[in-house]
Amino acid sequence: MGIRLYQEPQLETPILVASWPGIGNIGIIAVDTLRGILEAEEFGEIEPWDFFYPKRVLIKKGVLEYLEFPSSKFYFKRIEGRDIIFFIGEEQPTEVGRMYAEGKKAYYMANLVLDVAERFKCRRVYTSGAAVALTHHTTKSRVWAVPNSASLVSEIRGYDNTVLMSDIEGRGGHGNITGLNGLLLGVAKKRGFEAICLMGEIPVYLQGLPLSYPKASKSVLEVLSRSLKIEVNLDKLDELNREVERRIEEFYQQIPSEIRVQLDRLKHVSYAQPTEPGPITEEEEKKIMEDVEKFFKKRGGGG
Amino acid sequence: MSQGYPITIYKEPDLRRSSLVLGWSEDMGNLGRKVTDYLNWKLRGEEFAEIEPEDFFSLGGVAIEGNLARFPESKFYACQEHELVVFQSGSPWAEWYKFLNSVLDVAEHHCRVKELYLLGAMVSFSAHTAPRQLLAVVNSAEMKEVLSQYDLARDMDYQTPPGERPTLNSFLLWIAKGRNIPGVSLWVPIPFYLAAMEDAQAQKKVLSFLNERLDLKIDFSDLDREIREQNEQLARVRSRFPQIDDYINRLESNLMLSEEENGELIKKIEDFLREGD
Repeated sequence: MGIRLYQEPQLETPILVASWPGIGNIGIIAVDTLRGILEAEEFGEIEPWDFFYPKRVLIKKGVLEYLEFPSSKFYFKRIEGRDIIFFIGEEQPTEVGRMYAEGKKAYYMANLVLDVAERFKCRRVYTSGAAVALTHHTTKSRVWAVPNSASLVSEIRGYDNTVLMSDIEGRGGHGNITGLNGLLLGVAKKRGFEAICLMGEIPVYLQGLPLSYPKASKSVLEVLSRSLKIEVNLDKLDELNREVERRIEEFYQQIPSEIRVQLDRLKHVSYAQPTEPGPITEEEEKKIMEDVEKFFKKRGGGG
Repeated sequence: MSQGYPITIYKEPDLRRSSLVLGWSEDMGNLGRKVTDYLNWKLRGEEFAEIEPEDFFSLGGVAIEGNLARFPESKFYACQEHELVVFQSGSPWAEWYKFLNSVLDVAEHHCRVKELYLLGAMVSFSAHTAPRQLLAVVNSAEMKEVLSQYDLARDMDYQTPPGERPTLNSFLLWIAKGRNIPGVSLWVPIPFYLAAMEDAQAQKKVLSFLNERLDLKIDFSDLDREIREQNEQLARVRSRFPQIDDYINRLESNLMLSEEENGELIKKIEDFLREGD
């Protein structure tokens, strides 16, 4: 079990951008979109068999031709002075009954990714995921940024449409990032890499749906590309977003009207300015959360 | 405790060029458990090794089956006279690669296994009166050639459909291929209304193949009696419940039943077979 590099690209203190699937696939869509736009070249992988159950078998004329596993691949792109390594994991190595990676295997995988970062002398690591928030799907997703070092805070404050945990009402700078998108941040800190996790907001009532949420991926990608000083055309994400929004709207109309009225009020939530009296009180927030939970329980999904 | 190494060997078997038959104990129609139990009984299989469960199974309590507490077991039996190794196990929940490699470690290093026979059942929408088929998936063209003289369907094309995952047998076959151990995964379609029960005919189909292929010289008269009894029971359900007879008649004519009719057929047959007449 380990890393297989097919080639040893010459890179100058690159940035590592890593992501795995998660809620709304926000991080992985953002990272994979950037990888695609930049036409980054695949140069290695983490061998899958100890981490994953196979995902596909191909049998031809009674002979087992091959077994396909979820991939965990490395890509690189040379951009003068701003070289990038991408890592994209098709699945998180979960333990039985768990939704996200945790424990020994997750820790091992995070370390393998950082072994590559170390080998190529990466100067920074970005990960990306979802921030489940009391927002509405018609509003632009903000990006919650979590650095692993205090020295990065002032830089993050300069990012557009981005908030730190301390900017979010009621959180007091605290929170939790589940799965490998979060774990990598911590392991990076342990190994001396500076790292930032960028999380796109997804409305709380959409977190349990089997839908991607490209609107948030776009917000993440806007922040990431500006931070990397790369100009990218995000038309493809807009196109994907239009399709997803249509399906979200269909779902939204199925929500009982009394709950929908509450959710509609989320269009006016603004946590970035906690000093201003918001249109929703704490009590109302609690009520919305309870209603949403009740609805999903009754529906037999979500959460 | 296995202390990191998951295999415990109780007694080194005296095998020189053996074959391994593997059955999963929670298989459809209970096929894996029944066939491996039958082989052990008929060929006097002796337990000689096991894979310790802690890395591979959820050990948060025990399951209860048929009033009895069950604990995950993964045991090897040697039928020395016949150069046969039987492995019966629950399906692991985690660390599949390590588990399946452990099976092959015992097979290679302690039993000098030359071939693998992996048992599996699949659901069929045919009636129980239709002859059982045996489908084979091999991990090498050579193995396919070796099996060409037997009554097997050997030309299956298959690709895992979206949302599903390959079987453990496919995973094992693939690992075995990497270790140059020829193997075949044998699949018997079981009528859907017997899937949660037992299907003696399906067991006989697999056992007959193994008997012929491995020259085991098994007398199947007891199993034939079981098949007769099960067929008689099913005939009694048909005569007692005209609706059930109609459903089975339609299956015999290759007609599909509705989901509701399928459910009714399953329930009636299961109730009847469980309670007896």
